[in-house]
Amino acid sequence: MSVSGIEAVGFQPYVAPQLSTDAVTGTTGASGASSAFGDLLVDGLDRLEAVQDKSDKLAVQAATGDLNDMHDYTVAATEASVTAQLTVAVRNRALEAFNEIMRMPIG
Amino acid sequence: MDAFDTLRIASSSLGMHQTWLDSLANNIANVNTVVPTSETAFQTQLPIVRAVPGGGVEVTGLALGDPEGRLVSDPSNPMADADGYVRAPEDDLGTQMTQLIMAQRGFQASVQVTKDAQENYRSALEIGRR
Repeated sequence: MSVSGIEAVGFQPYVAPQLSTDAVTGTTGASGASSAFGDLLVDGLDRLEAVQDKSDKLAVQAATGDLNDMHDYTVAATEASVTAQLTVAVRNRALEAFNEIMRMPIG
Repeated sequence: MDAFDTLRIASSSLGMHQTWLDSLANNIANVNTVVPTSETAFQTQLPIVRAVPGGGVEVTGLALGDPEGRLVSDPSNPMADADGYVRAPEDDLGTQMTQLIMAQRGFQASVQVTKDAQENYRSALEIGRR
């Protein structure tokens, strides 16, 4: 999407991330597809762990009085909470898809 | 472009305003700090900020007020010179209080941005939920 009016002053419009076509079409059978989604989920969990670690570290700093800026902790806690919700949402959606397939009548 | 850019940018603004509030607290604490005319006056501090290219704001330094300050006639002060003058800080309380309101409102606006960002993330997670 191009917004000519504000691009002149250096604004970069948001470009939605695109999954590479290899991940979707270049898979060889069911195992390939599941590993791609699995990687995505593991990446998400790694990221969740990282932001939660950061939030925990800042919480300890707040308790010990070493925290310089209060908002550092509250923002990190928000980030951790939203990331957790996102990860759970992805997991729920995957489970939903799986159940949908399991309910598919055969024969 | 990170998913949490809104929060990161708002956080940088919160940090900048926090620094501003801190320096204002110091200025207001020293608004009545007078020194003998032979010394330099308390120098009021003002953060120098710049926009970060990737989004956000950062403090690059502190601008210091005039060390000359203001000469105030106060003959009863033990620090007064032969003519009865002492040296007071350059900026008065009114200027500092006005800036305090600006810094406080700026901080509150950034807090509101983080709240709205959180609201937006929540809405995004609602997409397709049954």
